[in-house]
Amino acid sequence: MPMPERFHPSLTEKSLGILLLFALLPVIPTSTVAQEQPAKFEDLAARAAAAREQENLPLAIELYGQAEQLKPDWPEGWFYLGLLQYLSDRFPPAIDAFNHLLALQPNSPAVMALRGICEFETAAYDDALRDLDQAVKGGAANEPHNEPIIRIHYAELLAHAGRFQPALIQYRTLASKQVDDPDMRLGVGLAGMQSTTLPEDVSSEDRELYTAVGNAGCAFLSDDSQTADTLFSKLFAQYPTTPELHFFYGTLLSMRGAELAIPQFQSEVAIAPNNVQAHALLAFWLMFAGRFAEARPEAELAVAAAPNMEVARVTLARSLAETGDVERAAELLNQVIKNDPDNLEAHLGLAAVYARSGRREDAYHERMVCLGLEK
Amino acid sequence: MPTMSAWSALAWRSSLRRLAIGAVAGALVSLVCGLGANQPELAQTAKPADAPLTCATCHAGVAASYSHAGMRHALESPGANPVLETHPKLRYQIGQYSYTVETKSGQSTYTVSVGTDSLTLPIRWMFGQHSQTWVLEKDGNMYESLVSYFHENESLGETPGDDYATPHNLTEAIGRKLDTTKINRCFNCHATNAVDGVKVTLDKLTPGLDCNRCHEGAQQHMADAAHDNFATLPRKLRTMNSEDAANFCGQCHRTWDTVVRNGWKGIPDVRFQPYRLELSKCFTGNDRRTSCLACHDPHQQVNHNAGYYDSKCLACHAPQKASNMAGSSTTSAATKTCPVAKANCVTCHMPKVQPPGIHATFTDHMIRIAKAGEPYPY
Repeated sequence: MPMPERFHPSLTEKSLGILLLFALLPVIPTSTVAQEQPAKFEDLAARAAAAREQENLPLAIELYGQAEQLKPDWPEGWFYLGLLQYLSDRFPPAIDAFNHLLALQPNSPAVMALRGICEFETAAYDDALRDLDQAVKGGAANEPHNEPIIRIHYAELLAHAGRFQPALIQYRTLASKQVDDPDMRLGVGLAGMQSTTLPEDVSSEDRELYTAVGNAGCAFLSDDSQTADTLFSKLFAQYPTTPELHFFYGTLLSMRGAELAIPQFQSEVAIAPNNVQAHALLAFWLMFAGRFAEARPEAELAVAAAPNMEVARVTLARSLAETGDVERAAELLNQVIKNDPDNLEAHLGLAAVYARSGRREDAYHERMVCLGLEK
Repeated sequence: MPTMSAWSALAWRSSLRRLAIGAVAGALVSLVCGLGANQPELAQTAKPADAPLTCATCHAGVAASYSHAGMRHALESPGANPVLETHPKLRYQIGQYSYTVETKSGQSTYTVSVGTDSLTLPIRWMFGQHSQTWVLEKDGNMYESLVSYFHENESLGETPGDDYATPHNLTEAIGRKLDTTKINRCFNCHATNAVDGVKVTLDKLTPGLDCNRCHEGAQQHMADAAHDNFATLPRKLRTMNSEDAANFCGQCHRTWDTVVRNGWKGIPDVRFQPYRLELSKCFTGNDRRTSCLACHDPHQQVNHNAGYYDSKCLACHAPQKASNMAGSSTTSAATKTCPVAKANCVTCHMPKVQPPGIHATFTDHMIRIAKAGEPYPY
């Protein structure tokens, strides 16, 4: 697999490593080295550090490796061994070094992130996603200098796994901090268009579209609605029949309000009548806007095509409740709640169903459940 | 409420023409038209036959009372602001920033100063009838004023929701910058024709809520009625059940769903009456006795007399009227009667609450047995 430019050793990568080192230092028990190891180990460790400081990576790697053979429970050595291998594009041995380090210090989000990025480079995407997920949850992306590289990799992996919304949330976090990166823009375009392709695998003929979509998406995510609207309007004119474009803009606009999103989803289903997800989301936002009669047929269509799609079922049930069919609504909502007891929309719907049926105490109970579930 | 078939409506409309020509008072109007039901009977204003048709042509009583209602004055444009006319110079201080709202010759300005720097903007839009927040424009952007006028203490204070904001410069000190979505939401609830789909159309708006803001289809109805066609009557909102009414009013006053979905909690939510009402154990979605409209006529000013609401409470809680009331399909609920008092129910069961930082008192619409010293529920 060809290496994208940003994965080559560079000042950015080096600064990442140095910063990660700073993050790690407090947890690495360096004092044990001086107290417990023979003179040969101390000599190797000192020579390895000197080689590292002189940026002689091959020599530093060799010396750290020898030192670890003498003292395999030396965390600092494994860290530098892994980091220097990573900086040398030697990803499998880097992963091995980080494995050793994580065996010694399992709760190190920064090391987890480094291993995840190395796994990404070896195309071990499932492992990489697992590691970066854990790293981000552990706070590895809280360090501003490391955040872009960690979140961009994480977002690409999320989109590759078909988790487009979580991917866009990662990109939004970066865009809101005015991070601007060509890979990020391409990634936003891919996630927005519901593509599981990784940026480096995008064909040259598709790159233009995805980048243009990403530019529009990034403008929106960085709160520049006006530019976003202009760019999306250009895209709609340039690609009038391309599926997923209106879906993406609708998804973004839904953050600002249902009424803004609805026309986009309506355009999407007009272009791609078989896009069940678009029908379901159109129904959902119509329901959100209180336009239940319009939501109902869209939700019926989505449920018929994808009977297990939860958002479609909840939307259909709520629409039924608000348009008079409370019995079928209650049945559907109870089915959803059976599978997903914490589904807030289902409980909101059930509260409405009971209220409309005059089941005052049941409605009150459901409202209390809602209050317990709200964010 | 009387209902009107198309035939009888047609006959009635023909009669009205004759009545108008004869300049006869039209108390009949408020009896026959759904909108006028339960209104105090006000004299029908007879208009010349060639005068432009308005809602008031037929619904004179409602139109007259609504002209004083709060929703009608939810937004005012410059020159129509008695509050600022009677308080021509208001001052307030937030940290190092000084605020002055000055009114001269019907023009109000909003000035924010720090040290020797100051910024003065004309007040473009006035939100609220008694207490007011203003929307200001600078360099093509709109700002919600950081300070508002509070009716209760007749002075300026920090705008609710903006009290967390710490301005770093004069522009930020104006107030919260409004994006298109917020502009849309603000004007859509405080004005009529301010929004066309998703577009904000401030050039077309009518300040405050005009009839057709709630009565969708009123314009069509008026046009058709001019040709004796009464087949396109707007929906009769008074017939909504409690659930529908809460959702309808909640479009602006916030629905249960909106508050829960957003995770809003705490005393500031007392401003969201439909949400609070639906928290009440007695709220019954299909029973009009617990509807917003059971207690409030949007066409009239809010009644601040606690005793006025007693009959609304006793519609359920009077011993002789335990259930089976008109408008109710609930027959099983045994209603409780109050062992403490038979009057001024709301003073105990709907306590007044002043949210922190807001110089205004709100009635908590969560109907309950409120105990002294208990924390604000939810």
